[in-house]
Amino acid sequence: MDSLITRQTSLSGNVILLGRYLRSKGYNISSSEESDAMRSLSVINLKSEYQYWNTLRAVFSKNKYQYENFEDHYKSYQHEMKKAVDSKVKTLSGDKKKPVKSKTPSIEALKSWLYNQPQTDEVQMSSFSNVEVLVKKDFAQMDQDEMRLILQVLRELAAKILRKKSRSKKISRRHSQIDLRQTLRQNLRSGTDINDIVWSEKKIKKLKLVLLCDVSRSMDLYSRFFIQMIYAFHKGSDRIETFVFSTALHQVTDLLTHHDYDQALDKISKRVPQWSGGTKIGTCLDRFFSDHGHHMLDRKTVTIILSDGWDTGEESLMKDAMKSIYKSSRKVLWLNPLAGHPDFEPEVIGLKNVLPYINGLHAAHNLVSLKKVLALL
Amino acid sequence: MMTVEDIQRMMSSEAYVVDKAIAISIFLSIQLQKPLLIEGPAGVGKTEIAKVMAKALDTELIRLQCYEGLDANHAIYEWHYQRQLLHLKMLEREDATRQDLDKAIFSEDFLMERPLLQAIRQPKSPVLLIDEVDRSDEEFESFLLELLSDWQITIPEIGTIKATTQPYVILTGNRTRELSEALRRRCLYLWIDYPDFDKELMILRSKVPAVDKELGVQICNFMKELRAMKLEKTPGVAETLDWAEALATMHFDHLDKEVISDTLGVILKDWQDIRTVSNSLSELLERTGVRSKIG
Repeated sequence: MDSLITRQTSLSGNVILLGRYLRSKGYNISSSEESDAMRSLSVINLKSEYQYWNTLRAVFSKNKYQYENFEDHYKSYQHEMKKAVDSKVKTLSGDKKKPVKSKTPSIEALKSWLYNQPQTDEVQMSSFSNVEVLVKKDFAQMDQDEMRLILQVLRELAAKILRKKSRSKKISRRHSQIDLRQTLRQNLRSGTDINDIVWSEKKIKKLKLVLLCDVSRSMDLYSRFFIQMIYAFHKGSDRIETFVFSTALHQVTDLLTHHDYDQALDKISKRVPQWSGGTKIGTCLDRFFSDHGHHMLDRKTVTIILSDGWDTGEESLMKDAMKSIYKSSRKVLWLNPLAGHPDFEPEVIGLKNVLPYINGLHAAHNLVSLKKVLALL
Repeated sequence: MMTVEDIQRMMSSEAYVVDKAIAISIFLSIQLQKPLLIEGPAGVGKTEIAKVMAKALDTELIRLQCYEGLDANHAIYEWHYQRQLLHLKMLEREDATRQDLDKAIFSEDFLMERPLLQAIRQPKSPVLLIDEVDRSDEEFESFLLELLSDWQITIPEIGTIKATTQPYVILTGNRTRELSEALRRRCLYLWIDYPDFDKELMILRSKVPAVDKELGVQICNFMKELRAMKLEKTPGVAETLDWAEALATMHFDHLDKEVISDTLGVILKDWQDIRTVSNSLSELLERTGVRSKIG
């Protein structure tokens, strides 16, 4: 068996090598794709390199991300091949760049940055109506009364969003609309008279949500609010699972459904000894997926992660965990309250890495942005 | 045998500007008889590809518009219940047996073909456009998988219907929902993005020949700058064409601030966008103006 980097002279050998290379870049390429590629190459003009790689792109890539990055991957593969002297043993892994070591995230620095934010922006708008000011106000700057008001609004919003009418029908006892198909079938048994009429109504589509909330120190200003918000959500639906994490993962669904809010928060902080501690997002997400992923996530579930992405654990772990979660949920939304800051860039290495595996990165630091997120569910 | 260049020629004869990448994908999908999954932002001509393909191949276009709640009854076949009922009433008088009844009302006469069944029963391979497949439910998607691999449909009362010809299948999506891995694997993939300046100008010239040359350049420049802005709904090529058409009908030969602000509604469909753009119009114009002078 030749080593991976042996230069192949046959076309089929080359295609298979490229397939292997792309697989290491996250493409899902099986033998059926490879045979498709061979069939395609037999019908195009092989003299044009442009046609050659475009053909392979159409066959090998299966989503936008892969499609757009194909050219780069193809070029780096070519580059790699040039370096490979015929059948010298080398491993392909040399190409994988060592990920840049993340700077130790200084939580303190982040916090001081948070506190130093000019608080006057919103206050100056007092000529606006109160509501107008409130919806744009950062959650971290709200007082108790404002918070209560916001939660009231949220609860109503949540109830609406979590129970949408589906366009699929189900059989119903209420006399709303006749289901001709079922009516005919039922009555055919007894002859040609129509005795029973079968009714149908629209199904209620309950949204399935999995919430993962970061309660580490860097999120301190927001996590308490988010817990309240989740609490409001739980009142609206029974199909929500909630976890909080900092250095370890804790399921708190049961606490949020039964107690009144203050009690719930109290119990949660008791259950989570590392409240306001450091963060190991990768480990926690990985833990979540391996322990709960298979029975909680499906193609109807929206996963929401509330975190700032400051991970002190291993980078690849977080990326892999996010990839698995992304693949088994309908949508993955990442809410990062810091993203509301105008200068924000997903600079945090951890966050940058997972961008391909989330459907959206949103701020959710005030009611306006949170409302946008809810509309996406 | 057909070549990639043939496809390009065929498509451009129908006034659809294709670049090589698109032509190759279409070509492969026809040659390999594999469905082609096209994704991209709204208004870049995804649906149009299927329409033009049907014209170029001189065959029928069968379109299935997907929506939430779309089920097999609406996509494949449905019995004509009202007619069945009437027929039953008629037969009642004739004292027909149960078997007769069954046979009579579950026959082809009462079968309503929906797009998918229709598509596999054509004498000549049609183009089957499954539009916005990401809007349908998961259940429908898995159902589609079965059809796309076996090309047969089973109707319990009649039996299995095998495809007489295999249609050319085009699936489009806007990425409102992530499609399943299984469906993706059955298809070839094509991502169409907003066209660059040159391509858009070509499209504009071939679709709206009435538009003034200089105006065309200005429009495309303006659209390019517009798409670089952060808008709620980024305008697509369809909007460019509408706008050009509108300006040409009104006999304008150049863009200025007044003309643009009067016709913004043609390209922007969101009131906030209109407000944002109106506010920064001078700046936008300046940028496009400078560029067109250099170009």
